[in-house]
Amino acid sequence: MNSDTVTERKKLITLVGPPNSGKTTLFNLLSGKKHKTVNYPGATIEYSVSGFLEQYGISAYLMDSPGIVSLIPVSPDEKVTIDSLYTHPDYGKPDLVIVTVDTSQFSRHLLLAKQIIDSGFNTVVVLTMNDLLEEKNFTIDENELSRSLGCNVIKFDPRKSDGIDTLINILKQDLNAGQLKIQKRNDHTEEDVLCIYREIEELEKKVLRDLNNSSNNNPHIAKANRELVIAGRGAGIKIPDSLTLKIDSVLLHKFWGIFIFILIMALMFASIFWVASPAMDLIDTGIHNFENFVNEGLGDNWFSDLLSQGIIGGLGVVLVFLPQIVILFFVLGILEDSGYLARGAMIIDKPLSLLGLNGRSFVPMLSGFACAIPAIMAARTIQNKRERILTIFIIPLMSCSARLPVYGLLLAFLFPGKYFLSGLILALIYVVGVIISLIVAGIINRYKRTFLNFEDNSSFIMELPVYRVPKVSNVLKNTYSNAVQYLQKAGPTIVIFSLILWLLTNFPADVKTNPDDVSNGDSVAVQLSESERISNSYAADIGKVMEPVMRPLGLDWRVGVSLIATFAAREVFVSSLALMFKVTESDENMSRSLINEMKNAKINGTGQNLFTTATAAGLIVFFMLALQCISTIAITKKETGGWRIPVLQIIVYTGSAYLLTFLTVNGLRFFGIN
Amino acid sequence: MTVADLNFGQTAVIKNIDLKHPSSCRVIEYGFTPGQELQVVNKSIFNDPLSVSLRGALIAIRKHDARCIEVIIPNEL
Repeated sequence: MNSDTVTERKKLITLVGPPNSGKTTLFNLLSGKKHKTVNYPGATIEYSVSGFLEQYGISAYLMDSPGIVSLIPVSPDEKVTIDSLYTHPDYGKPDLVIVTVDTSQFSRHLLLAKQIIDSGFNTVVVLTMNDLLEEKNFTIDENELSRSLGCNVIKFDPRKSDGIDTLINILKQDLNAGQLKIQKRNDHTEEDVLCIYREIEELEKKVLRDLNNSSNNNPHIAKANRELVIAGRGAGIKIPDSLTLKIDSVLLHKFWGIFIFILIMALMFASIFWVASPAMDLIDTGIHNFENFVNEGLGDNWFSDLLSQGIIGGLGVVLVFLPQIVILFFVLGILEDSGYLARGAMIIDKPLSLLGLNGRSFVPMLSGFACAIPAIMAARTIQNKRERILTIFIIPLMSCSARLPVYGLLLAFLFPGKYFLSGLILALIYVVGVIISLIVAGIINRYKRTFLNFEDNSSFIMELPVYRVPKVSNVLKNTYSNAVQYLQKAGPTIVIFSLILWLLTNFPADVKTNPDDVSNGDSVAVQLSESERISNSYAADIGKVMEPVMRPLGLDWRVGVSLIATFAAREVFVSSLALMFKVTESDENMSRSLINEMKNAKINGTGQNLFTTATAAGLIVFFMLALQCISTIAITKKETGGWRIPVLQIIVYTGSAYLLTFLTVNGLRFFGIN
Repeated sequence: MTVADLNFGQTAVIKNIDLKHPSSCRVIEYGFTPGQELQVVNKSIFNDPLSVSLRGALIAIRKHDARCIEVIIPNEL
């Protein structure tokens, strides 16, 4: 019975390995599926499953698991990871486990392989980074190792992919090697690990071979290693990569280290804004042209309106951020692949730990500048639950790229023509956002017993990978897959909300057009009737309920509706305002004419200007603080396992945003700035 | 004496791991086992975390975690 179900089921091969062992690179190579490759410990945050590339002819699922150091879980999240390795809830027990072992870290990485083999898994060990070991003039005797471990061992470097046929043959052969008896061991203790290490050290002596290779690249190290062996101080691969040590002496230098760190961060953000902007303009213009093309092609009717404003406009909002996201992930990928990110985390660990955060919070916070959603998911690499939740808590304060067009519009309104000043203020907005987030973290950490009552052992132990020249093709693959993920995740939500907004602002549709306006020419008349339709629409009904809330901020219902619309995505604010303020030109002058309309807009029933220096500044403050993104709330609920944290965030951030906007608007008015 | 007390560039041999320390298991898993030689190769700007050379790898470790690694300096043997 049992064997029948096993043969019917599609087989499962699971990849297991410590961080930086080349596991994910191997996964990419075998699956051919575009997936994130990481050099940053533990960054494979979700199990990725795919089939094998067709050319290999293996009919099985291939699963990539998060990088782990051993089979002993130290946090609840790690327990889930390890439990699903034994039996995955959807895919069952693995029929074959591939364990990657970085040979230049042989003894450390073999720990996991030994634990896997001892647990009874049908195992293949793949030795990676053999070139690094050979540079040290050593090599591993894989046949001897295979005999000692009792499973197949193969040398294979997934970065180079030579010899993949041998690997595939071994996989095919071992996949059908018969059933296995997996025994889950919960009784691992520190003593067991020490015992395995002793076995490994014996094994290392047996399989490590001195390479008397004249073409060796690094004679100095080799000589030093030989002297070590002669001195009897161990197996002699204990000296780390010499180039890495040299680079580290600069990049982790007390003074230069922090200087270069700040420089790299500054360059990264500069490239996100300045390199991306021409591409963003191009996409923006393209979308507008497409909208016009659809409008002209289909004529003036509700359907062309729905298509151009509801769907194409909504898609445009998603696409326009693509350049920034692509650049951010590309730069992050280069930093990751080169080995710098782990150093960045190390440098920033101490200051962050004072605020109750962790060096591992660094990458999630950095990603938060692109989009909070991948950032919150990346926080899974933080083992300590309190630190992880605190990191998730402050991520929404990192100014995500969706806020950029809003700041752009408001700054252009406040400082027309002064690009340098606007740029400076924009930089200030980002810096202030980070400072506020650190203050919030500090305050919560101070009163952590009230907010985050969790078991506590804050720790930071992380392997610093060897510096390597980043493999650009790998980084591009990851960037591509991240961009696709962004489009898949953000796309539907934004398009749906944009459709809802279109419906709310266009219905009820039976409002008579004012005949006076028709004389101004056809196209203008349509737009004017549209704005009239808005003031009688369902959106206006909702907005008028909000009016009492908006008034103290010096704003009216139209801004209120636009703010509600930002819950789909913040960038919708701009297109929503354009819809609300009857902007007639839909070419690249749109933002300029929107600014003109904003200057002339009056609060209903009064002669008071709606957009003044005070209210525009107030809106900037609002956007800096308020939690107004449904996707962020949803992912926070999922990642923190309940509504407690997201609700707290909404209350704290949106509440203080309202209060501070009120203070900004009325404070500026008090000093006569209006 | 623990790894946290070592100076920059100092080499030492691990004598014992304090199993009462909450990070002890993780520390052992990363390869800090008695008898192993290690060297503090770098310190971060605030002198914490430390970058330790161990078993041919570089490992960043907070002083807090490093306190459970008891060491002796070979010359003082």
